[in-house]
Amino acid sequence: MISADFPGGMRASDSHEVSQLNELKIDVGALSFVAHYVLAGDVIMCEQMPIFGGYAGGLEETTIVDVATHLTAFVMTQAHYHLDGPIHVRWGITTARESLAVAGHCARAIEENTPFLLANQYYTLAGPCTVMCLLETAAQAITDTASGRELLSGVASAKGVATNYTTAMEARMMGEVAHAVAGMETEKVNRILDELVGMYETNYKNFPKGKTFNECYDVVKLLPSPEYVSVYQEAWQILNKLGLKY
Amino acid sequence: MAGVGVFESYARAKTGPRVDENEWDSRIIPQTARRLKEKYGLKIDKKQIIPTDGQLINNIFRAGMEMLVECGIYCMDTKRVIKFTEEEVWRTIKTAPRRVILGEGRDAVTLKARRFDEKTPPIIQGGPTGAPVAEQDFIAMHEAYAREPIVDTIVDGVLQTINGYDPSPNTPFEIAAVKSEAMMVRLAQARAGRPGMAL
Repeated sequence: MISADFPGGMRASDSHEVSQLNELKIDVGALSFVAHYVLAGDVIMCEQMPIFGGYAGGLEETTIVDVATHLTAFVMTQAHYHLDGPIHVRWGITTARESLAVAGHCARAIEENTPFLLANQYYTLAGPCTVMCLLETAAQAITDTASGRELLSGVASAKGVATNYTTAMEARMMGEVAHAVAGMETEKVNRILDELVGMYETNYKNFPKGKTFNECYDVVKLLPSPEYVSVYQEAWQILNKLGLKY
Repeated sequence: MAGVGVFESYARAKTGPRVDENEWDSRIIPQTARRLKEKYGLKIDKKQIIPTDGQLINNIFRAGMEMLVECGIYCMDTKRVIKFTEEEVWRTIKTAPRRVILGEGRDAVTLKARRFDEKTPPIIQGGPTGAPVAEQDFIAMHEAYAREPIVDTIVDGVLQTINGYDPSPNTPFEIAAVKSEAMMVRLAQARAGRPGMAL
């Protein structure tokens, strides 16, 4: 937003966000933001979250629209990089199998045919301090890293809608998994992903909401609680068994 | 800037073909996507989340390109379609940024192209990603992200309140909240010893 650009606020080297609308839409307000960013010499990040099961339709149709929105980010909004986020219409998350398949196929299609810089954002169903939240995060980090994305942005745990239901531990998981999987052959990645997603996708109707930042952290020392450290280790044990090492 | 760009796009948004929004949502988008899926014979296997078939990968790209060139982008305010030619899209592709520096000084990171099978990991942008954060916890929560060594840049949350007021869109409190968020993230990054870290 333009009002964040001021001395002591956002700098030109920060990511200035503009959002496209679903599907293949824009409004004049967004174009006006971009005009400011362009003339100020700001880094521009164009975001769009295509909806699987929405206006476009199913897997293939949503992927086609996702590719088109990536192109639009650079043609119309002069983006330096694109922030994706295919979202599942029923669950409102980016970690569902279908969301991951759209993101994985779109990223490979764009990577193979353009030099565009690509990012993806994270919306999990489960909340902080739960194994499910960390496994959802891991699955998307694997998908994004192994499909050639350049930046991972997250995590909006618990769908990003509940106050204080996000912590740095989910970002730690996103980062560690990305580092662990980088360079892995695709066939092995797909085997791990299939098994990993299968571990949480049956829990959508009874997902754990998790705990707030204040419950997960010593908010003075800014250290995670022993309980969250234990949950985190449990999630990594599962990932280790699947073949990931960090 | 060798692509179409924002100013020319806006000019086209005022002169492009007029379309009813409902027609766009319920007919143009789904029917075009479905037709292109059939034209290119696209079939995605949900158990293969990352494709390995080169022909499928390239056909997905061709379908996406055709989707954009055929449909364009709908401008909701002018009720018109912004159209692009395939040549304009390719010109953009050829001149797109290959690398971008995020942040300043010793905390800056370079966002640059990486291959899907490359050992170089992606940039890690950690944060609540637009999720609501209580005003009194905003700095501490963001400082916790900035303290994570594996986190390269911050993606911030949004203030649930500003001085106790609801920062509803298009109100003075929204402006106050947006400015405060930026200031508070800067403070959180500085407290973590990473003042040049990007936001």
